[in-house]
Amino acid sequence: MNIVVCMKQTFDTEAKIALDANGKINKQGVSLIMNPYCEFAVEEALRIKEKHGGEVTVVSVGGPEAQDALRQALAMGADKAVLVDPGMEEVDEFATATILAKAISGMQYDIILGGFRAIDDGSAQVAGRVAEILGLPVVNVVVKLDIEGGKAVATKEIEGGSQVLEVSLPAVFTAQKGLNEPRYPSMKGIMQAKKKPMDKKTLADLGLDAAQVAPKVKVLSYFLPSARAAGKIIPGEPADAARDLVKALREEAKVI
Amino acid sequence: MSEPLMLFDEVRDAIVASGGEEIQMCMQCGLCTGSCPWGRMEEKAEFNVRAMFHMGRLGYDGYESDDFLFACTTCNQCGVKCPRGIKIPNVVRSMRSVICETGGIPKNLKAVLGSINSQGNPWSQEKDDRTAWTAGHDVPEFTPDKEYLLYVCCTSAYDGRSQKVARSIVDLLKAAGVSFGIIGNEEKCCGESVRKIGAEEEFGNLARHNIDLFNKKGVKKIITTSPHCLYTFKNEYPEFGAEFEVVHYSELLHNLVSGGKLKFSKPVAKKVIYHEPCYLGRHSRIFDAPRELLGAVPDLEMAEFKGNRDFSMCCSGGGARIWMETKAGQRFSDVKVKEASESGSQVIATACPYCIVMLEDSLKNQNKDEEMSVKDISEILKESL
Amino acid sequence: MAKGIWVYVEQRDGKVKKVTYELLSAGRKAADSLGEELCAVLPGKGVAGIAPGLGEYGADKVYVLESDALEQYTTDGYANAVAALAKEKEPSAILMGCTVTGRDLAAQVAQKLGTGLLTDCTDMALENGQLVFTRPIYAGKAFVKAACPEARPVMATIRPNVLAVEGTQAGRTAEVVNVTPNAGDIRQIIKDTVLQVSTRPELTEADIIVSGGRGMKGPENFKILEDLADVLGAAVGASRAAVDAGWKPHSFQVGQTGKTVSPVVYIACGISGAIQHLAGMSSSKCIVAVNKDPEANIFKVADYGIVGDLFEIVPLLTEEFKKIMAS
Ligand code: SF4
Ligand code: SF4
Ligand code: SF4
Repeated sequence: MNIVVCMKQTFDTEAKIALDANGKINKQGVSLIMNPYCEFAVEEALRIKEKHGGEVTVVSVGGPEAQDALRQALAMGADKAVLVDPGMEEVDEFATATILAKAISGMQYDIILGGFRAIDDGSAQVAGRVAEILGLPVVNVVVKLDIEGGKAVATKEIEGGSQVLEVSLPAVFTAQKGLNEPRYPSMKGIMQAKKKPMDKKTLADLGLDAAQVAPKVKVLSYFLPSARAAGKIIPGEPADAARDLVKALREEAKVI
Repeated sequence: MSEPLMLFDEVRDAIVASGGEEIQMCMQCGLCTGSCPWGRMEEKAEFNVRAMFHMGRLGYDGYESDDFLFACTTCNQCGVKCPRGIKIPNVVRSMRSVICETGGIPKNLKAVLGSINSQGNPWSQEKDDRTAWTAGHDVPEFTPDKEYLLYVCCTSAYDGRSQKVARSIVDLLKAAGVSFGIIGNEEKCCGESVRKIGAEEEFGNLARHNIDLFNKKGVKKIITTSPHCLYTFKNEYPEFGAEFEVVHYSELLHNLVSGGKLKFSKPVAKKVIYHEPCYLGRHSRIFDAPRELLGAVPDLEMAEFKGNRDFSMCCSGGGARIWMETKAGQRFSDVKVKEASESGSQVIATACPYCIVMLEDSLKNQNKDEEMSVKDISEILKESL
Repeated sequence: MAKGIWVYVEQRDGKVKKVTYELLSAGRKAADSLGEELCAVLPGKGVAGIAPGLGEYGADKVYVLESDALEQYTTDGYANAVAALAKEKEPSAILMGCTVTGRDLAAQVAQKLGTGLLTDCTDMALENGQLVFTRPIYAGKAFVKAACPEARPVMATIRPNVLAVEGTQAGRTAEVVNVTPNAGDIRQIIKDTVLQVSTRPELTEADIIVSGGRGMKGPENFKILEDLADVLGAAVGASRAAVDAGWKPHSFQVGQTGKTVSPVVYIACGISGAIQHLAGMSSSKCIVAVNKDPEANIFKVADYGIVGDLFEIVPLLTEEFKKIMAS
């Protein structure tokens, strides 16, 4: 059972987001981590491998810094890593998926896993696009996955409940929280990871040219939410205060 | 038949390379584990420092978890007993740093590091609010003509409860006529507990930032509110070229009282038991100053825990444990609160912001917060001014 | 020439989701400005009856894709059907609700059409004749405005409840166009569907959290928070003190030593605001605190606060929310 995991390195959840002089997201002084949903995907891949044998390859699109996230996956127990540095400023989901699919198409795989979304841009579409390009079925937001005899039985979240689906392999699955509890890398794993292959590729290595991965989506601007106003204590009798609060939440804060 | 254990020397080499060379001196006598508080809790903990050193040295798997590698509070109670004189917390730190480099640290600690990188404090609070504790209080700004920089711990800067401690210390320093000021928003966390996570890179960034800042502002002497900051400024910052004279506020106040510059007149007729912060006592060898300060308060009755000074039990907030969950039944602070209550004390006094957080939580979960309170000694002293 | 703004009609058992109406309303305005037609795309089985009524919300035309194969939503079935129709008609934009289904479908359709997709949008506007979308990134700590300048159709999923349903015209009907859909080979075989009535969302995934602290006084009193949570579709959380008291399991604990959360709304009831709690929730977009102690730290981070008895105030809030959620 060969498994490929698409993964992404993201800002950590505590990152303070600021804009730089060019109005872009400032990347200075933020910690980079493996996207938590990708961690679920890596963990699931390792569990499948432990049960059914095979090899786990992790693939990511990003700059050299993304090696850290791949290395964490190797330390957790993945066998090989591939990093494609697109060498471009703006990469949208279409471009990322095109690159990933191309990188994966040269590998052997029965299962492709990914996080169902990334916590930075939260776009939740790359894995689905990869499936489409490779002509594979996809099951998103998976909370349970069983592999048996060339088939997978996946439980996915749907509105107001869950659904059990069966697909033939190869197939793509995206991991939702609850799928598993990711392991920590062991010290031994960390040492072994240093010797595992980390294949660094460029677009040219994959036989892709810039036109093929030209983004479809164009960012016009970034902006930050307006600063928090000073807190308000709502006065009055309980019944009035409750009414005024609910009104403020709907009309002023516009959050309900 | 189980699989044969595979030894993996490289793990030991990595630990040594991260500064844990003393792991090779361990003779596996187990005196450390015997004195570690984890073994004395109501619910038996899995953590065993001797076993961990053994595994680390041979390169076995299986101790890299929240409640094993990250269990140690770095209190150094074990170090007092170690016949080989090993600085056990330092070996633990180096083992963690091997893991930390790969990003495999406990989830809650990742958020802490994220906050450290973005905000310069571990509490996910805005960096520009670092001086919010001074609102409505006249706190002098540090200028080169001031003798001391008062460096306020992140916890006392941001935690509403702990802010009272910062203000008490300011009042005491003012009452004694000390020349001091604060820098505030440009400061970052001292990094002591950050380093204990194993985050060497983040620690280095913090240390370099603070040292530059202090030098730029003309700081020569520093007063710390927390013994954690004291420890790292004194013992770890010099590696980065720092040359400051550092004192914990309790030492300074003690000198001022001895010199007759500070007097306590109002009686505080309470029975007060002193919880020794590990980083003030065992790590920094300041045992007498806090006790003598409390002794200088009229009508105050002092009590001691059975284990005190070198044998004092940690509150379980050190070594980054303050940011992690400890199961009920395994919290050192619960045990301390019970003992304090049995001693008939009304106040648990301490001199560390972390200890206050831990002990107050325990006071609440033991339902003793009506009958007892936790106070920083500065708060008691201020009451007595 | 690409023409027409499309809205995907999300329905279950013949009941149309509100977000569909929101998209039709917004789509209507855009279509008017661009001089295009607004089309609704309605796949399903036995759904034709819904079609004409969509005109009231602004649709000029409704493509009804009736088929046994589309009785239940499947990724392949719906994506094939919608993408095939889009290839034929070449719309200039396709809008979907950012729901579990909308998100699932949009990615597949977008790739089949080789176009760009903006997901999870909170706003849509026309700027210089092009549709521009706003979407939160980094959990709402920043926003990005983006467009799809060349590729067509422009695709987007838009969050429910961010666009208003307005300008409905009673009695206006839409032209119904029946299309024989091509659902293709459906590779996801549904084995079982389990619907749970009112499951509360997971803490770290929830948009709204109602949380209780030591001020709740006992486990039985969490009932009032649960009632409030159910009205809001919120998750229930607890402070460390409440968890320590044994009122809630550790999985409910919000805070640095429990779960770090950043929902849109965090309602803290009887929580004093210890630093570890604040560290785990202060990035929430809007914080509401109810506490009897006006000095409680929680008020320092709260956007809105009520000083008072939570046992009196929380049930009142539940009633007030019920009223506005119904409207
Ligand atoms: S430093 Fe403290 S917690 Fe750590 S092993 Fe030693 S005694 Fe135990
Ligand atoms: S007390 Fe010192 S020598 Fe003995 S087991 Fe512990 S670390 Fe090793
Ligand atoms: S004690 Fe030092 S490390 Fe800890 S929060 Fe305070 S300043 Fe930061």
